[in-house]
Amino acid sequence: MTATTLIPLGMGLIVLGAGLGIGKLAAAAAESIARQPEAEDKITGAVNLPLFLLEGVAILAEVFTFLMLIL
Amino acid sequence: MNAVLLIKPSQTVMEQVGPNIIHHVSNSDISHPIIYLPTIFGIDFSVTKHVLMLWLVAIIVSVSIILPIRRFLSSGNRVPSGWMNAIEAIVKFIRDSIARPNLGEKWVMTWAPVLLTFFFFILFANGIGMVPLFDVLGLINRFLLGVSYSDSHDMINRMLHGGVTATGNFNVTGALATVTFFSIMVAGIMAHGFIQHWKNLVPHGLAWPVYIILIPIEVMGLFVKPFALTMRLAANMTGGHIALLALLSLMAIFGEMFSSAIAGVGVSLIAVPLAAAIAGLEIIVVLVQAYVFTLLTAVFIGMAIHVHH
Repeated sequence: MTATTLIPLGMGLIVLGAGLGIGKLAAAAAESIARQPEAEDKITGAVNLPLFLLEGVAILAEVFTFLMLIL
Repeated sequence: MNAVLLIKPSQTVMEQVGPNIIHHVSNSDISHPIIYLPTIFGIDFSVTKHVLMLWLVAIIVSVSIILPIRRFLSSGNRVPSGWMNAIEAIVKFIRDSIARPNLGEKWVMTWAPVLLTFFFFILFANGIGMVPLFDVLGLINRFLLGVSYSDSHDMINRMLHGGVTATGNFNVTGALATVTFFSIMVAGIMAHGFIQHWKNLVPHGLAWPVYIILIPIEVMGLFVKPFALTMRLAANMTGGHIALLALLSLMAIFGEMFSSAIAGVGVSLIAVPLAAAIAGLEIIVVLVQAYVFTLLTAVFIGMAIHVHH
């Protein structure tokens, strides 16, 4: 097994991590909106920023793996 | 799509799919530019596909956003109508739910123009990537006007190479993020003065050994913020197009694997609706990424203005 065959596996791991993280955020947001529907705007605002930062990290990792794959 | 015409008979389909996808998302070759311009200071100023797209986006933004706003402001009429209503809704959304909560009342009007420029420019540049503009032009050129594909003097033939999403190019998003980078510094300096802004980088009143770790981390963070913006936008735009093309390529791959056209057609029954669904998802991504870039710029500028340690 060479390094190149492991790279797609790494991409999968990134997706797994990002998916777990975003899932946790979404679950918490849905729960708190169900508990306090009047605070929906505030909760959405608070969830948005970490969501995008998390997405950024995942995208960065994907780009680096992809670059490793093609270079 | 000019995908079919790039196929060399000596290669198998599997060998062609990868380069073909890359060809459709990357910039066109600088050695075959669309418009030839002279080399100044060792830099080739010839216009490639992405530069052409940037010009196109600039023209569209000017005509559809800037001109109506100027006309509205100079008319003296305070009630917007028609297209102006739509622009006002977006501008109001960005000012009230992106700029105001992050920047605070005092600095909203200073930085809202930057955020609005980012939003409209990125939105149009992303959106134009979903319009098969040049593919339609190429089809008309080929089948109605009868220009052969190998005619490299034809303007439209030269425009067919490369992807149309200018924001899918890391250089373009890098330039956009550079504006953010300097905006953060200018915002901090305007709010706190030059010396105080750089002092604000780290919290004061800690034991001195902590600063040995903290200062390099904060200086790194200064560059990581715009770098992450660059990567996020470009990778999102490129990734979506790669997913679309990969799904459509399945038809050719399956057709070759079972060496029958029926296999390709059978896969297309699943692949084409799936690609259409991904295209729908891409339209959401186009909107979200323009929003995210604007929001994160506002957050970073806000962090430089309101330092809470």
